[in-house]
Amino acid sequence: MIDFAASASALSMLFSSLTPWMIVVPGIIIGLVFGATPGLQISMAMAIFLPMTLYMDFMQAMLFLTAIFTGGSFGSGIPAILMNIPGTSSAIATAFDGYPMAKQGKHNQALGIALASSVFGVLVGYLILFMMIQPISLMVLKLGPSEMFMVILWGMTLIASLRGDHVLKGLIAGFVGLLIGTIGFNEIGLARGTMGSFYLFDGIPVIPAMMGMFAASELFRLANKQYIVDSKASRKVDLRKIATGFKMAFQSPLVMLRGCLMGVFVGAVPGVGSSVSNLLSYVETKRRDPDPDSYGKGNPKGIVASESANSTSEAGSMATLLALGIPGGGATAVMLAAFAMHNITGGPQFIREQTDIVYAIIFANFAQVFFLMILGLLFIPLLANIIKVPMRYLIPTVLVLAVMGSFGLTGNFVGPFTVLAFAIIGWLMRRYGYSVPAAVIGILLGAMAEKTLLHSYQISGGDLSYVLERPVTLAIMALLLLSLFGSKLLSLIRRPAKSTVNG
Amino acid sequence: MNKLKKDYGHLCMLLGLAGFTIWYLNDAIRVAFTTPNLLLILPVSLAVLLLCIAELVISAYRGKLFEAVEDEPVKDILPIILLFAVYVLTLPWLGFDLGTILFVAIFLRMKNERNWFWVLGYSIGFGIAIALFFALMLPYPMPMTFLPID
Repeated sequence: MIDFAASASALSMLFSSLTPWMIVVPGIIIGLVFGATPGLQISMAMAIFLPMTLYMDFMQAMLFLTAIFTGGSFGSGIPAILMNIPGTSSAIATAFDGYPMAKQGKHNQALGIALASSVFGVLVGYLILFMMIQPISLMVLKLGPSEMFMVILWGMTLIASLRGDHVLKGLIAGFVGLLIGTIGFNEIGLARGTMGSFYLFDGIPVIPAMMGMFAASELFRLANKQYIVDSKASRKVDLRKIATGFKMAFQSPLVMLRGCLMGVFVGAVPGVGSSVSNLLSYVETKRRDPDPDSYGKGNPKGIVASESANSTSEAGSMATLLALGIPGGGATAVMLAAFAMHNITGGPQFIREQTDIVYAIIFANFAQVFFLMILGLLFIPLLANIIKVPMRYLIPTVLVLAVMGSFGLTGNFVGPFTVLAFAIIGWLMRRYGYSVPAAVIGILLGAMAEKTLLHSYQISGGDLSYVLERPVTLAIMALLLLSLFGSKLLSLIRRPAKSTVNG
Repeated sequence: MNKLKKDYGHLCMLLGLAGFTIWYLNDAIRVAFTTPNLLLILPVSLAVLLLCIAELVISAYRGKLFEAVEDEPVKDILPIILLFAVYVLTLPWLGFDLGTILFVAIFLRMKNERNWFWVLGYSIGFGIAIALFFALMLPYPMPMTFLPID
């Protein structure tokens, strides 16, 4: 599976000159800044800097764009931890435990954990890509809408697992979120719930809704606090504690590895990618943990699960791009544009004929991991100072960032109005015990779920036996059922065995 | 302490969510009463309505229908929500520069920042810097009062 001659050629291509490496550091910094600024997307950064790649050769262009991708995937976790604003949908699950940790004064450790998980995630992701690029691309070819629906359904089980103390309210919030996610035109050209407004034809913008529900609604509640963290001693930015957090991440190697595996395979699914992989990894970690109630209250494993999965998804989406020429999301779509600018077409032929370039991109990403680690450690102390800002300054600053960022996402006032509406809805939901994360996941997955379900219905003609002809669908379904009922089934099997032994 | 003796918000919230679901289902049925259109919406809507009924019955039975879960200072939060709403809704007329400066300055005064140097310095400095940053980064024009639009 590994072409050693191409590997040697890739290494000589990378290390024959320093020039390709000159653009990696600025790339990672751009990614970090765009990822850490709410409302500025990684794909936006790549699109803005795409014209610059015209003056680079293909190899350099790829290194620059993947460096932005790598920096951004970690950067989006920073506001999720410090301000409860996931920079992108791939950092939703990072906020679940990251922000509670920050509120407890463990922001240094939380950021260290996020950095370690991201660094490890990118490394493992590209390692898997290096060894299995062809099997992964073949797997992607076998994925149809029914398989994608099963992956989304798996993600949707998170709604049930985030119920907290109020089971029914959690489910109501999640299902209403799903309905909100389907507002606007569906795949067959029917517009529902738009009240005649053409602004809603494209549906509710998910990220502004997320900013309103997660960040703005939380900030309203903190209006009377002096600081996010009350104790002055806990507000210190401490590089040693960041390093402790970095080490803490490796205390949960299984969580990290599971996140990486989920990230790379789910990340390879076009259109689903890191948005779902971080949630899946989180729900699986929570379900398997002996103390699931500690999640959502600042359990470090929650950050490990989310960040390792969303960082590995980069490699998964790169597999689809390189091997099939299919972009899995916004960022890889920009990379596809870079392919076109350099007259290169991704696909099986590209992998076969230009294996050295593919390997060089992968090897360069191994090196980017070390750059990310160093730059991340330099940037984190700078960014962690947010915790020292008095709330009377932090609240309006973050609200303004959310409003301007949402305008940047939609290009009109639908974004800011969505932030406002969902900030109020989110505040009411928190006040009356409805799960805000469940509602956000519902909104995120609603449109995706309806689209894939509809495609499956159209292909099968409504015949349920179609599912039986899809082995991958059945396999994902089995995994889903196993993750839901596996532990209970195991305990049921063990119980009679134990009683027999005792008897 | 801050909990109201009888909070109708929970009941209103529940009725609001059920009401939205009924309205949305009705709108979807009105658009097209076909399987592809209702494939996801119909079962999910029915599930929401059943769950709302169950929550209503259980909350009433436990005597928790008129209680908020979170104990928070509503009297301090509502003015902030109102200020934020006014900021967002007036942005198309005030522009991102002036609107942001006013929002930050009023917020700081509301939260008892007595040093006028800080109130004006931060609101003007931050307002202009952030509006300029986004105006330069975004590919489309942002409404402004005194800063250049593009």
